[in-house]
Amino acid sequence: MSVKNAGPIAHYRHLNFGQRVVRDWKLNKWKYLLIIPVLVYLALFCYKPMYGLVIAFKNYKPTRGIERSAWMDPWYAWFEKFFTDPYFGRLIGNTFTISILTIVFGFPAPILLALLLNEINHNKFKRTVQTITYMPYFISMVVTCALIRVYCQQDGLLSDIVVFFGGERQNWLMNSGNYRTIYIISEIWQTIGWNSIIYLAALSSIDQEQYEAARIDGANRFQQCLHITLPGLMPTITILFILRMGNILNVGYEKTLLLYNSNIYDVSDIISTYTYRLSFGGGTPQYSYSTAIGLFNTLVNVVFLLATNFISSKVSDSSLF
Amino acid sequence: MKKILALALCLCMVLAAVPALAADLLPAGDTYPLKTDKTITWYSQDCLNPHEKYGNWTESPFHTNLAKLLGVNIEWSFPTTGADGSSFTNTMMADPGSLPNIMKGYFMDTANQLLEDEVIWDLTDYIQEYAPAYYAWLQTNPAYDRAMKTDDGRYYAFGFFREDGGWNDSYLGPVVRQDWLKECGLEVPTTISELENVIRVFKEKYDAQFAFANDGRFRQAGVQGAFGAYATGYVASDYGWFVKDGKVGFGATQPEWREYMKWLNKMWTEGLIDQDSFSLDDTSIKAKVETGKSGVAYTSMGQLNLWNKDMGGDYWIGVHFPTADDGSISSQFGGFGIGTHTTVITKTADEETMKLCLQMLDYAYTQEGFLFWNYGIEGESWEMSAETGLPKWTPLVADDHDNDPMTKYNGATWGNSCIQATNLLYLKNSQTAIEANDAFFYTFGKDEYFADEAVKEKTLAVTGGWKWPVGITFTTDESDKLDLLGGNSNLNTYVAENYAAFITGSKDIADDAVWEAYLAGFDSLNLTKILEIRQGALDRYEAR
Repeated sequence: MSVKNAGPIAHYRHLNFGQRVVRDWKLNKWKYLLIIPVLVYLALFCYKPMYGLVIAFKNYKPTRGIERSAWMDPWYAWFEKFFTDPYFGRLIGNTFTISILTIVFGFPAPILLALLLNEINHNKFKRTVQTITYMPYFISMVVTCALIRVYCQQDGLLSDIVVFFGGERQNWLMNSGNYRTIYIISEIWQTIGWNSIIYLAALSSIDQEQYEAARIDGANRFQQCLHITLPGLMPTITILFILRMGNILNVGYEKTLLLYNSNIYDVSDIISTYTYRLSFGGGTPQYSYSTAIGLFNTLVNVVFLLATNFISSKVSDSSLF
Repeated sequence: MKKILALALCLCMVLAAVPALAADLLPAGDTYPLKTDKTITWYSQDCLNPHEKYGNWTESPFHTNLAKLLGVNIEWSFPTTGADGSSFTNTMMADPGSLPNIMKGYFMDTANQLLEDEVIWDLTDYIQEYAPAYYAWLQTNPAYDRAMKTDDGRYYAFGFFREDGGWNDSYLGPVVRQDWLKECGLEVPTTISELENVIRVFKEKYDAQFAFANDGRFRQAGVQGAFGAYATGYVASDYGWFVKDGKVGFGATQPEWREYMKWLNKMWTEGLIDQDSFSLDDTSIKAKVETGKSGVAYTSMGQLNLWNKDMGGDYWIGVHFPTADDGSISSQFGGFGIGTHTTVITKTADEETMKLCLQMLDYAYTQEGFLFWNYGIEGESWEMSAETGLPKWTPLVADDHDNDPMTKYNGATWGNSCIQATNLLYLKNSQTAIEANDAFFYTFGKDEYFADEAVKEKTLAVTGGWKWPVGITFTTDESDKLDLLGGNSNLNTYVAENYAAFITGSKDIADDAVWEAYLAGFDSLNLTKILEIRQGALDRYEAR
């Protein structure tokens, strides 16, 4: 959240940034010592490993190490390979589609749940619902996907239901048309309860007097929700949304890997599963190529993060920085 | 009693048929123990982990006994439990200065680069003097020798060999419910039409389908041989390539492969193949095959054994790989009994240490070492059987109900730098599993195989002869090129995807335009260039 009016600095607005730092240093010399461990931590664990990214431009061989591995000629050879890969378009398309669908359907779901839960006065019922909805989050991904696969088999639960209504048996995961629906619905089922917790916390911090005032003005519950609850949640929603956009290309490979089969690669194969197969799909792992794809992934994510942040800071007051 | 009799008969047959066992051919290992106070570090990526009952290798009889017999202290290491073995090895390789002296992994693909970078020892100048037994073993079969050196004739590794040649390499194949066969009055199928008929009758009578775990089983090698084809949908690693008259080919572009796809598509559309087959694995398929939802399947001898155990009877049997109706078959799952395992000596060993390591590794290829690696110590875990003249377990192993108890005492159960005894496989597996393996391997009959040299040759050509040989090495330059061309990964994705589409009918295999478009797709995957590189590597291999 923006911290534009924080503390005494405001009084020295007329000084430029450098002058302010010098001034602050003079005043709080010893307090600066406290940030040294954090700086060391960041340098060691966040910035130093970034050095490893150079292998995206090299022909990395484990036994040669980063130093002795040869540079690629041209240096962007791995990127070129990725961009000209016959599957490049499909991978990007699928990754964005699944990611955007997850955001469109999956992002508002916990907000709705939190709003609905907020309207319930019966405490015991509310807690039971909360517990039941966030339970699935704790089931391991492997188990969840195994369940989904069993339900989707030709003699599974889903087929049983369809047959009961006069349909035909089929393996639902063998059909490209069904995959995304199954993916998104199971995703929502698994995360809705857990993700609503943060909104429920934000809801409890909304001043109760505002509701009282609204009721006196004659607002009904829907209007209260629209004019008090939602605006109260807005900063939380924005921050979470910006953070979510920073992960737009990070569709988890575990779930896709556990659910897909070769018959539905056309809709399910995403960048991370493609990279996974590069490393573990037989043959020697392609470190440099995977790193190049990872770097590209990160760059796209950063662009989306910055763009969303920029738009958000223009249209509303909330932004990350 | 009947079973014991059958087993004894079986063993007698093997004895009569195999002229000389490896143990008799091998030289005696009279230089052991070596008596040195050196400590050698020894890493094994897989297949040699201490038995699950032991906390670590210091409790494991095999690992401690080997050190005693060799007279050398050995410090063993393995990938952390649960870690992916090859990733673990690759991580270790990133620090060449502190590698263990002896490493067992899969280094055939990178051998040239490892030699160039002096990470591993070139053993050529030392092998005859310090590993005479191993060198002699390699000379017994030109294929062995060729597989274990580089194109320019450098020896760099100790390999894994099966005494039986290719028999156990055909451990996968078609299996059927024999009780249903009897009930329906059907013969055991040998041709593809007969197999199809069995599937049809089972569907009608029991509403059962043909089921298989596609990934890892059926996709690697199915029943394509009946159509004259060489590949299924699996071209990762070396499946998918075939060698015919010295030329490398790519199976999934051949017209025969198309015929195979047409057949599978027909079976699928008529509801004869279980739709879940594409997502089944060894665990989930059990729910189908053990509950009568399937009467024809495709699996390994080990799995078949488990199914029968679970069902409490010999319901499932292995059958021959189906031939075309005229009795011809082009390819089937199998090999030549040479593993891709390689045990190398790294440069962390100085010259003296390297010589010592050579002697240690050579032990497995001597008479004594062969017995120890396969059975453990005589009198402890095994004794000679008076009836068969072959080793058999003592009660220490025979009455041990842990999983694969022999792995506590031996090292050759799964594959390592050693020769695996056929007798070990007979001792290890149940009668059903052995019979299934027989059915998978002896496509033209077992008796005929031993009686007729021509049948033997035919069998070997079908099981291993068509395969991309084990031990071909690419130059560093070639591997780099292959990486940039997209290598196996893209090809595999493309074929796997179309294989599924053809079978399920989402792409019409009968339509010539669809087939042409599919073939054209290989252009962007650089198939021609990849084939050229592979042909070059094959030519150099043949010239070794």
